[in-house]
Amino acid sequence: MGVVCVYFYPVPEGKSGQQVVDGIQKQIELLGAVKTGNFCVDCETFQAGSGIQNTPQRQVNILHSSEQPASCFAILDTGTCLVADALFDGLMQKLKHYYQQRKGSKIESKGQRYEYGDFIFKVGSVSQASNFKGILVEIEYCPCVVAGDCMNLMKEMSQSLLGSAVAEQQSSFLKTKTDMIYTPADTMSQYLEHFNNFKKATSVNQAMNR
Amino acid sequence: MLSIFSPLSMSENLTKLAHKIDFYKDESDEKGKPTSEGEKDEAEEKVLTSFEQPSWVWDSVRNKLKAAFTEMAVLTDVLNIIKEKRYMVADPVSQDQPDNKPSVLLLAKKRGLVSAGSVLISGAERLKRSHSEHSNRAQDDYFIELLKIRQNWRLKKVGASILGDLTYKTAGSRFFQGGTFEVTKIVDDKTDTSTSHSRGSLEVIIPSELEGVAYIQVEVKSVPEMMDLTSVTLKMPAGLGVIRSDAYWQNKLEVAQNVLFCKELFAQLAREAVQIKSSTPHIVVGNQIITNAFPGIQLSIVLCHYTGKEKKIPQAPQKLEHNHVLEHSLHQLLREVHFKNINYVAPHPVNAMLGMSKRRRLAGPQGTSRRELVEMNVRDTLLEQIIKQTKHAVLRLRTMHVLDELALCIQDPQITAHWSCLNSSLECCVRINITAYGYEVVRSSLVLIIEVDTIQAILKDSRTITLSFEDKALQDLILWQISQHHIQVVQQLAKFHAWTVVSTNFNVGVGDIDLYGTAASLMMASPKGDKVLAFRSGAYNKIQMYLKEIDPSEAVDTSPAVTNPKWQKIIGTFQAVDVEKLQGKTFSQKVDMVMAKLTSMS
Repeated sequence: MGVVCVYFYPVPEGKSGQQVVDGIQKQIELLGAVKTGNFCVDCETFQAGSGIQNTPQRQVNILHSSEQPASCFAILDTGTCLVADALFDGLMQKLKHYYQQRKGSKIESKGQRYEYGDFIFKVGSVSQASNFKGILVEIEYCPCVVAGDCMNLMKEMSQSLLGSAVAEQQSSFLKTKTDMIYTPADTMSQYLEHFNNFKKATSVNQAMNR
Repeated sequence: MLSIFSPLSMSENLTKLAHKIDFYKDESDEKGKPTSEGEKDEAEEKVLTSFEQPSWVWDSVRNKLKAAFTEMAVLTDVLNIIKEKRYMVADPVSQDQPDNKPSVLLLAKKRGLVSAGSVLISGAERLKRSHSEHSNRAQDDYFIELLKIRQNWRLKKVGASILGDLTYKTAGSRFFQGGTFEVTKIVDDKTDTSTSHSRGSLEVIIPSELEGVAYIQVEVKSVPEMMDLTSVTLKMPAGLGVIRSDAYWQNKLEVAQNVLFCKELFAQLAREAVQIKSSTPHIVVGNQIITNAFPGIQLSIVLCHYTGKEKKIPQAPQKLEHNHVLEHSLHQLLREVHFKNINYVAPHPVNAMLGMSKRRRLAGPQGTSRRELVEMNVRDTLLEQIIKQTKHAVLRLRTMHVLDELALCIQDPQITAHWSCLNSSLECCVRINITAYGYEVVRSSLVLIIEVDTIQAILKDSRTITLSFEDKALQDLILWQISQHHIQVVQQLAKFHAWTVVSTNFNVGVGDIDLYGTAASLMMASPKGDKVLAFRSGAYNKIQMYLKEIDPSEAVDTSPAVTNPKWQKIIGTFQAVDVEKLQGKTFSQKVDMVMAKLTSMS
């Protein structure tokens, strides 16, 4: 497991999401990367039933990744992350009386997976209920396990691929993890951050449009 | 008839009167006091004084106590007199002797003996009966045999017949062939004791396809001229003894079960050889599987099944080359497959899949990637496993052979090999020490880890070299290490002789290129600085020695710029020294002697 950085690629005005995705993919292929298949990262949100008043609503996000097919990631809104076996979904079903699934909250990022030497690129188009939301590009550097050590290398790679504006983004989450060993749970936390941003952007847009 | 009574004497009269006194009547009833028998005077006195009224209350009590005391005194006197044995003797009362009637005694004794005898006779009868039963081999023998067979094999009653199961199905086998045998009773008309002893009263009927004797033969041979598999040698199953038809049922059943096991083993291997795609092709011909373990090394697995019905008998009994270790390995591997089919790894959860290893179960919580999961799932087939074991066995034998040959050829530094006791069927380890005889303080060692395909050599400085299966590679490596060892020994000798080592180089870049590895060189100067020795040794080259002697008499014109006399010592030319002609058995001895001679004290 290497170090993963998930970047949000803004769709410029006038272009469709599909066009942008194709463009990035062509660039990756020009580099010399090899296509190795598809990937999918999806997220469902569960909310604790408000049986007791005056307690804040608790949210649990369940994420799956095709890169870790045997695992299921459960992230609370406080940031705590649980990595469990794939049977954890069954457990959530059993708890459905307490944790209800929010309708229409399923959001996923799907796309192609490329391998280039020690790097793995994933270009995913994010969609919620078949509405296109945005583009997330994931770059993984396999040999390194400590985030802080390869940040500069990652920045260089993303700069050449996605442009300096995108490369400057740095997840607030990663800033706290520079000296610790990087785990798949950290990747999922990054994805969750981006998914939440997408959801907020949608609601802001809706509010603005009204 | 007249009877004369003499008048009573005084004492007799008193006695008569005393007897009339009732001693046990209460004092309150009459005024008479109880008296003792012997004291007549006092009794009279007491009789006379009994009419007086009691003067005080305690009078009667006092009198009673006095009487009791008197009685006690009399008793003690009597006992004392008896003890003295002069006037009174205590004699036991004699009883009448019973009549000794001998007839009654005899009758009693006879009755006792008869009952004891009857007990013994009944016991003896029982023993005789059981002994006769045992020797007669009656109906009960069949049931005893049936009990024994039920203790060893699974039997069940189907209709009127008893059927049993030979297969390994309950042990985890999934082989399609069934092994049902039938148990029948032998009905002998002619009860000949000699044959009935050996046969028993139980017979088992084996199914026809499991008749005879079978075994798996594994052979590893080197066929350097036949590198391709298209020309293979077919084998005829050699004649093994067939089991006798009147053998004991346990032997028959065991042999039949062995036939079934060998058939399953061969069927599994043949299926894998045909289906699994691997880098080396396998050939399945009839009852043989042939594959190349290494180029030039052939592995053949043959199922030999001799049913006794073959018409063709081989002319000469073929000498069979069995590799017993690999055969045993094959049996063990199949049993392991059976075991895994039945026994699942703990835990056995209700809601998840059974049989996953601990690593696979933890794969989810640890977030294992897809690539790692795929790697975890790959499992070797039976054929692949046995090929791996064969390869390792061949490689190990080859390494042993190379090391032994080198140790014999090269006497100068001694090569010793220590094989590790801990090894598996796929990996083993050996440590090689190179020491010079007499100078064992310097020791070069390297570790060889022999794996399936390759040998990993770990040198003294922790460098790891991967060697292929060719034995020449190993030979080259060891010769190279020996050449390095020579230089190290000379380095140590310099310390002993107080010579200064001017330079050492283990990767000399000058001179003739070596066939393998790099050459090592050493240059050292004597304590006084007037003699310099230089060495160069390579793997396949002979070790070369050069000497430079500086004659102090050869004074070179020194210019005034040269201030230090030490600069005189760098002049001179090296001359080659013939190492063969030096005195000494080993190289280190020769160098030792040379250095000793060259060290001048003056």
